[in-house]
Amino acid sequence: MLKTLFAALPLAMALSLPAAAQSTYPDHTIRIVHGFAAGGNADTVSRIIADALSQDLGQPVVVEARPGAGGTVASGYVAQQEADGYTLQLLVGGHPVAAALYNSLPFDSLEDFTFISTVGQFPFFVGAQHGRFASIQEVIDAARANPRSIRIGHAGVGSTQHLTGELLGLETGVQFLHVPYQGGAAATTALMGGEIDLVIDAGTVILGQADAGVFDALAVTSGARWDDRPDVPTLAETVAPGFDVLSWTGIGAPAGLPDDIAETLNAAVNRALQDEGVRERILALGASPAGSTGEAFRAMVERQIATWTRVIDAAEIERR
Amino acid sequence: MLEQFMMGLGVVMQPSVLVYALAGVVIGQLIGVLPGIGAITAISLLLPITFHLDATSSIILLAGIYYGSQYGGSIASILLNLPGTPSSVVTCLEGYPMAQKGRAGLALFIAAFSSFIGGMIGVALVVAAAIPMASIALRFGAAEYAMLVVLGLIAASLIGTGSQLRSFAMVLVGIALGLVGADTTTGFYRFVGMPELADGISLVSLAMGLFGVSEIIRSVNSEAPRQTKIAVSMRDILPTRAEFKEITGPILRGAGIGSFFGALPGTGAAIASFMAYAVEKRVSRRPGEFGTGHLPGIAAPESSNNAAAQTSFIPTLTLGVPGDAVMALMIGALVLNGVIPGPRLMVDQPTLFWGVIASFFIGNLILLLINIPLIRLWVLLLRIPYRKLYPVIIIMICVGVYSHRTSVVDVVLTLGFGILGYLLKNVRFEPAPILLGFVLGPLFEENFRRAMLLNGGDFTVFATRPISGTLLACTVALLVYSLASGLAARRRARRAATPS
Repeated sequence: MLKTLFAALPLAMALSLPAAAQSTYPDHTIRIVHGFAAGGNADTVSRIIADALSQDLGQPVVVEARPGAGGTVASGYVAQQEADGYTLQLLVGGHPVAAALYNSLPFDSLEDFTFISTVGQFPFFVGAQHGRFASIQEVIDAARANPRSIRIGHAGVGSTQHLTGELLGLETGVQFLHVPYQGGAAATTALMGGEIDLVIDAGTVILGQADAGVFDALAVTSGARWDDRPDVPTLAETVAPGFDVLSWTGIGAPAGLPDDIAETLNAAVNRALQDEGVRERILALGASPAGSTGEAFRAMVERQIATWTRVIDAAEIERR
Repeated sequence: MLEQFMMGLGVVMQPSVLVYALAGVVIGQLIGVLPGIGAITAISLLLPITFHLDATSSIILLAGIYYGSQYGGSIASILLNLPGTPSSVVTCLEGYPMAQKGRAGLALFIAAFSSFIGGMIGVALVVAAAIPMASIALRFGAAEYAMLVVLGLIAASLIGTGSQLRSFAMVLVGIALGLVGADTTTGFYRFVGMPELADGISLVSLAMGLFGVSEIIRSVNSEAPRQTKIAVSMRDILPTRAEFKEITGPILRGAGIGSFFGALPGTGAAIASFMAYAVEKRVSRRPGEFGTGHLPGIAAPESSNNAAAQTSFIPTLTLGVPGDAVMALMIGALVLNGVIPGPRLMVDQPTLFWGVIASFFIGNLILLLINIPLIRLWVLLLRIPYRKLYPVIIIMICVGVYSHRTSVVDVVLTLGFGILGYLLKNVRFEPAPILLGFVLGPLFEENFRRAMLLNGGDFTVFATRPISGTLLACTVALLVYSLASGLAARRRARRAATPS
């Protein structure tokens, strides 16, 4: 018995060889780098995905925050890492914004990355103090009658929220006064205190206040109404036909990631996004879980770089 | 109110919840002791654990880490002149001289006791006055913040020991350092040079460098034995009746100042502790004793930063808007548990709201109970010869600063600030006002320019808005009073000098 077993051993090993070669990735810790403060939205999404990937791939997945310069510190770092599948990056909607906003990035926002899959997509909501405006149309009318009289607070110069506000001004042909704050929370507080008239920010910032009757969610920036809030009209159907801004999170890696590893990761991310717990947590963050192919992800980034370049040129925002 | 609070106590006293309050404050205490590693790092690392907890336990755990770190922060400040958190920088000013005089035990006791009272007053205000305090906070717009900072800077211009002109110069250095990074108003990069500095110099690396590292350089350089006698008997640790009396006023004033700044989004524990110290120096009858190990100088800031740590939950819990990065994490933890924070939290989730607040009460009690017995242990740390201690400290500082934003540049800067702090101290410039300028300068600039933007460049806005105008009037009154009393003192001195 034992003898037969030993005799069969080489055969078994030989048979298992191709399988072993395929399953060598991953054989040690994977890290997900992101470019934002610990505890921010990007950090939280990274940790949700890291948790799910480590269960799926059977290796620890750790999160590494390298905050700075709107996420470009992290992107510059990841672009220089080896494309072996052990360094990934959580990319966000700010990635194409940075490509349009910065004069000299030490990396190419498209060519230096392998785009694996999107994770979630989310629109911004236009919030105002409850009862201040009956509709988004009224806001635009007021801004048209008195240029720069409507004050929009935003999360920081060059943030996606800021550029979305600029885009709204461009598409409707009215002038807003854009007021910078340090982050969406500070802008929201200012809106509560009546220092500004509007805030354009993610659902997590606006909707809780809307439910409590403090704010009105006047419009949503996505092209179609948001599933979660079918009663909130889109900007496209009210004041700015064709308006469609969705921000997103997604997983990327340095350029030149071998195809088989990219496929393994794409499959793992998409499987994670089917998991009920993961879906729930991403939904709680105001996003809808949305996986994609690498090609579709890349094409979206390319499109958005073009959009934001146009907005920054038209709004004459100084490039840095 | 009291009834709901008792209901909250009922929630926390369940063993399954109490264990998270205990875990939170113990982790927080530890994080506070370790230099550089802040509550933010610890909380974001523990955030995934809360996926598996309910919302109430999650917030109780994470909140415990935050206010627990305020207790721990003072320990290394007192023993080693090494602020564990930026809000315990001020504790170095009086605590370390006390330790050098062999009274570390008393300093640690005063710090723990003041922290406890300050924290409890903060909790009491959260219970009794959360809603009115939140609505006052909302009335602070750009103009009000700008004038508040001016008042603070004027009031605090006496901070540090030595001449006022020297401390003013250091405030300016701090403001200059605060200019580094992307300008909030325009997004323009100022003195950036490398992308790692685009978000500015980190407060942690500045504080660790100017205090911790510079102290190491100085101690290593000095040949004198550091410690003459180490007193660890209970009698040496407990304050006398007279000393208790001396710190009562400072603790209460500190708690008041801390509670105010804590509830105000965008300010917080660090500013609160600086202000409390400055106010003590202003009202003291013996301002000359500050800097030599004066008890009120420990009691006020420690009470203040702990009160601020508690009241900073007010905007988060009652309005659903976080006042700083730590509170943003709390909101994140709530959201991940399916609780949307906002004004309805108190009504929709009474067990969560009151359970969390009651956990502050329990947490502060636990912190006091674990801190008092630990004092003797901490003091014994001083028996380790410094040459064996400092390599460990340097490594801990580097790890802590690095963990903050995974940046080697920050570590190098910390060491650079250490050398700067050492050189400045050698020519009798105090480092504390640098931090004050660094924190308040950018806050003033941002709000001043926002006020200008919102009001079309009209300066009168600072005088015509009621709160802003009041703050401006206070500033002017303080300036006039200081000048007049300064002149009077000089005239008296001259009269005394001329023989009649």
